[in-house]
Amino acid sequence: MACPLLGLWALCEVLVPVVAGWTVDRAVLTGDVTALVTSVLAVAALFLVLSLSYRHGIRPLLAAQEHEGHALRVAVARRSLDPRGARHHRADGEVLSVASSDAERTADVLDAVALLVSAVVSLGAVAVTLLGLHVPLALAVLAGAPLVSLALRGLGPLVTRRASAQQEAVAATSALATDLVRGLRVLHGLGAAPAAAARYRRSSDAALAASLRSAAADGAQLGATTLLSGAFLAAAAGAAGFLALRGDLSVGELVVVVGLAQHLSQPVRLVGAAMARLAASRASAARVAALLAEEHVAPAGGLAPSGSPALHVQGLRTGRLTGLDLDVRPGELVALVAEDPADAADLLDVLAGRVPPGEVGRAVRLDGAAWADLDASAVREVVHVEPHATSLFEGTLATNLDVAPARPRTGGPTLAQALAAAGADEVVGLDPRGLDRPLLDRGAGLSGGQRQRLGLARALLADPPLLVLHEPTTAVDAVTEQTVARGLRALRHDAADPAAPRSTLVVTAGPALLAVADRVVLVSGGRAAGTGPHADLVLADHRYRAAVLG
Amino acid sequence: MRRADGTRQSDPDARQSQSPGQSPDDPGPLPEGPDEEAGRALLPVASRRRAWAAVRGELARTPWRTAAALGLSAVAAALGLVAPWALGLLVDVVARERGLPAAGAGGSAEGAAALVPVLALLVGGALAAGVASGLAAAAVARAGARALAGLRTAVVDRVLRLPTSVLERTGTGDLLARVGDDVAVVTRAIAEVVPQVLASALTVVLTAAALTAVDWRVGVGGVICLPVYVGALRWYLPRSGPLYALQRTAQGARSQALLGALQGARTVRALRAEEARAADVEARSARARDLAITVLRLFTRFASAMNLAEAVGVVAVLGTGFWLVRGGTLTVGEVTTAVLLFLQLFGPLGVLLTSFDDVQSAGASLARLAGVAQMPAAAAPVAAPAPADASVRVDGVVHRYDGGPPVLHGVDLALAPGEHVAVVGASGAGKSTLAALVAGELAPAVGRVLLGGSEVGALDPEQRRRSVVLVSQEVHVFSGRLLDDVAMAAPPGLEGAALERAVTAALEAVGAAAWVRTLPDGAATRVGEGGVALTPEQAQQLALARLVLADPAVAVLDEATAEAGSTGAAALERAARAATAGRTTLVVAHRLTQARLADRVVVMAGGRVVEVGAHDDLVAAAGPYADLWRAWSGG
Repeated sequence: MACPLLGLWALCEVLVPVVAGWTVDRAVLTGDVTALVTSVLAVAALFLVLSLSYRHGIRPLLAAQEHEGHALRVAVARRSLDPRGARHHRADGEVLSVASSDAERTADVLDAVALLVSAVVSLGAVAVTLLGLHVPLALAVLAGAPLVSLALRGLGPLVTRRASAQQEAVAATSALATDLVRGLRVLHGLGAAPAAAARYRRSSDAALAASLRSAAADGAQLGATTLLSGAFLAAAAGAAGFLALRGDLSVGELVVVVGLAQHLSQPVRLVGAAMARLAASRASAARVAALLAEEHVAPAGGLAPSGSPALHVQGLRTGRLTGLDLDVRPGELVALVAEDPADAADLLDVLAGRVPPGEVGRAVRLDGAAWADLDASAVREVVHVEPHATSLFEGTLATNLDVAPARPRTGGPTLAQALAAAGADEVVGLDPRGLDRPLLDRGAGLSGGQRQRLGLARALLADPPLLVLHEPTTAVDAVTEQTVARGLRALRHDAADPAAPRSTLVVTAGPALLAVADRVVLVSGGRAAGTGPHADLVLADHRYRAAVLG
Repeated sequence: MRRADGTRQSDPDARQSQSPGQSPDDPGPLPEGPDEEAGRALLPVASRRRAWAAVRGELARTPWRTAAALGLSAVAAALGLVAPWALGLLVDVVARERGLPAAGAGGSAEGAAALVPVLALLVGGALAAGVASGLAAAAVARAGARALAGLRTAVVDRVLRLPTSVLERTGTGDLLARVGDDVAVVTRAIAEVVPQVLASALTVVLTAAALTAVDWRVGVGGVICLPVYVGALRWYLPRSGPLYALQRTAQGARSQALLGALQGARTVRALRAEEARAADVEARSARARDLAITVLRLFTRFASAMNLAEAVGVVAVLGTGFWLVRGGTLTVGEVTTAVLLFLQLFGPLGVLLTSFDDVQSAGASLARLAGVAQMPAAAAPVAAPAPADASVRVDGVVHRYDGGPPVLHGVDLALAPGEHVAVVGASGAGKSTLAALVAGELAPAVGRVLLGGSEVGALDPEQRRRSVVLVSQEVHVFSGRLLDDVAMAAPPGLEGAALERAVTAALEAVGAAAWVRTLPDGAATRVGEGGVALTPEQAQQLALARLVLADPAVAVLDEATAEAGSTGAAALERAARAATAGRTTLVVAHRLTQARLADRVVVMAGGRVVEVGAHDDLVAAAGPYADLWRAWSGG
């Protein structure tokens, strides 16, 4: 429905100069009042149809486009958040650009088609009108308009080159400004503000030079467009004037020819624009489709885990691991010290489900069940892998802390207990609004240590049977690290309900955390190289001492 | 020539589903509403008068260029009127030659030769209009680019020199919005909106004048449609403004939700919160979509009102022309001129009417930029004598942030030249405040901080740069070549090959040279945002390399080894020791190994110094430090 209406709208646009010429012929030249009244009615009717067809054509079209863009955006977001993951890891920026601009541009296909329809209708209407007036003149005008457009394309590459150079230079300058402001404290600490200001001025000058060059090219293009379309109009007017003198055209028809010749450049350009838009839309649609068709890391289905946090790793070989053995028994707090942090990262990738379970096979077992047989999505109800770079979300402190869906067990820690154990109660107390404090920009206003403690509190509150922590205290001071270590131990292990034991695996080299662990495993060269309580290992193992005490 | 939508005619490629002048990809500013920095003071916003004064000031730097741009624009707009005039003449010639009644008096049968002067006028007019509009567009764009460059340099220069105390009050959010979003809005306005509005306004005014020149009654006929336009605007603007603001907010919220969910994907997965995050994205995207549709419906009604105004105008001009030709006052050619002039008016009028929102938002951004650019510069400190040596003395210092409760309650501390002192304590003990005071970043509320006997706040910037450097808690890798990142700290005058050698030596000193060599382009590799991502350890090594290059007498390290994975921390501690060798050093220590190697340890709690002494003495003293150390060393 939208396309015919927009076609009608385009037709009306063409008819405005036609009706004006017709009025000159029928009414102004003759002085006939009846003809004037008819003309006024015709103008009124024309504008009414024009206005209504545009309004009722464009509304459903653009609404459909908004709905389509929204649907694609949500589909991409849902696919990216799918717990079964994607085999091919994409950068966040790439996914964001697919979810925003590609989704939008894919939906643009509707707009592009409508654009094409209205341009074609315009061209057709102009052609029919002109051919009805004078065939040779019509052919000349219809051939001339595309030629003028083509001639103007000659400047296109220069303008595009200068414009993209200018956009790049301006973007670089603006990126430099925000980068310098982000590093403002560093600059102040170094007393380097004057040096930074000089660097910005150089960048701004380069952007200005590019802008000036681009302005010259833009001016040349506008001048050439004005000149050529003026010359084209003069030629059409001259030819039509000559024909009118000979009596082949009436005066009003002369006005119509001139008006249409002026109008013609618009649909010619629109066809080009619509084709470019269709091409862009197709490319975006391909990117959206590729992301949506991405294979999952884990197949759907499998055994449900028993819920017991007994982790048994034997001979795990993945990434840089060359046969890792590790046991975490129900109720145990185990720490893992890796000489090479990449070894620990490989183990965490497995436990977090970022490695296809088929590749892990039976090297990892949860309460006796092989990793490959378990339902990857259900495993997360038992194993919670808290990332080192934990993320906060928009909302308040309270909405950030209480995120995870409740587990089917009551008697977990209260919010106050979790906050205290993570040393995060102090963070909450910093602001008079307490837990209702809003977090803007996903917590960018908090220090690294504050974010780390809030993330830990959130993980403790989720109360998973097996909690895996990755360097949870790197951004906090020695005093706080000790508070956290004691709090973690007390909350999850000393005060735990024996009927529902909680296990914790901490990847860390922080002495305070290591000291409260039941057992520490040292990983060296991709395999376990020693195990025992922290105090024993410090005394007995020089490699351990070097890794932990520096 | 006709338009029903202000955005379409000037550039069909810019045709969008959004409101006029709004890009769908633009995430827009952050959502409004209560923010965590709500209690913070914002930077000043200039009044409208002062904002315009800032623009005029920039334009007045090259007065003849500005005048030339305006003059050329007026000439170009005037030359645009030649074609309708000549076409009217053409109609008259034809009507006369064919002996039609409504043609002007006089005239003889010259045949085709009568067309020659009219065609010459058309072709000449096209040539002149082409040249003038090209020159005018270039001149306006160049004047705008110059004014913009002047304004953005003034703003960034001012922002970079804001005192730390102001930064503490305002936070960086407002600053980032100004140098980022506001500069972008004004840039777009100067590049796209201003030239169009200027050319359109000139065309509208000159066309109205030309209509009146044809005959004053035709002029009146032409302006009869104005009340309809004004009425449409008065209906549209109060409704569209708030809707656009809502739409921008909704788009910003949508981007935030998407970005948060994607960047936090691992956390979301760990917390099994996929459904909640996806539902959040869906709800916000739906809200942005619904607002876009509402805005569009409103706009199409406004477009209909513009159509009505156009129809009224066409009828009025044709009707007036009809009566005047019948009365013999005008020729049919003159009426043709009037009709063509009027039809030619729709484009520029549409541009003017649909630019209001852009002009308003550009004005608001301009006021925020001018507000910063016009902030008074900090008074130059009274020149203090250069520091006599590398000693540090903190005398009875009390500090409070913005009238809040004191965070330091009378701290005394003295560092001998070359001495290394570590500060240990819990969060909120006042360690970072003490570090900032010693570095001269903050001025004490009570008491004095002396470097080599001179008050640190009274040193001029260059003296201070040579005397003390603070390696702050915030780690930042400047986007660009790694070489340029470190060179940020170079003393003035060090340039070219000498600078590169000094940077290489600094990287060598902190043990970064080895990994820098493995980067794709060595020290010339682009790092930071948009470049190679460095690990936190590498970023901190760069910060230490800057310290070596700056070569101050006193170094203050605020948790310079924080954030690194524990295993990397040991390497960083070695780098920090190398970078501070031979300097008086105050280090805020996360890891007690740093404290053990210092000459003395200061333990802080609740804004006071609670214990001072050498590591071994404190361990033996069985105070709070001894407890900490026992837990740390597993003893």
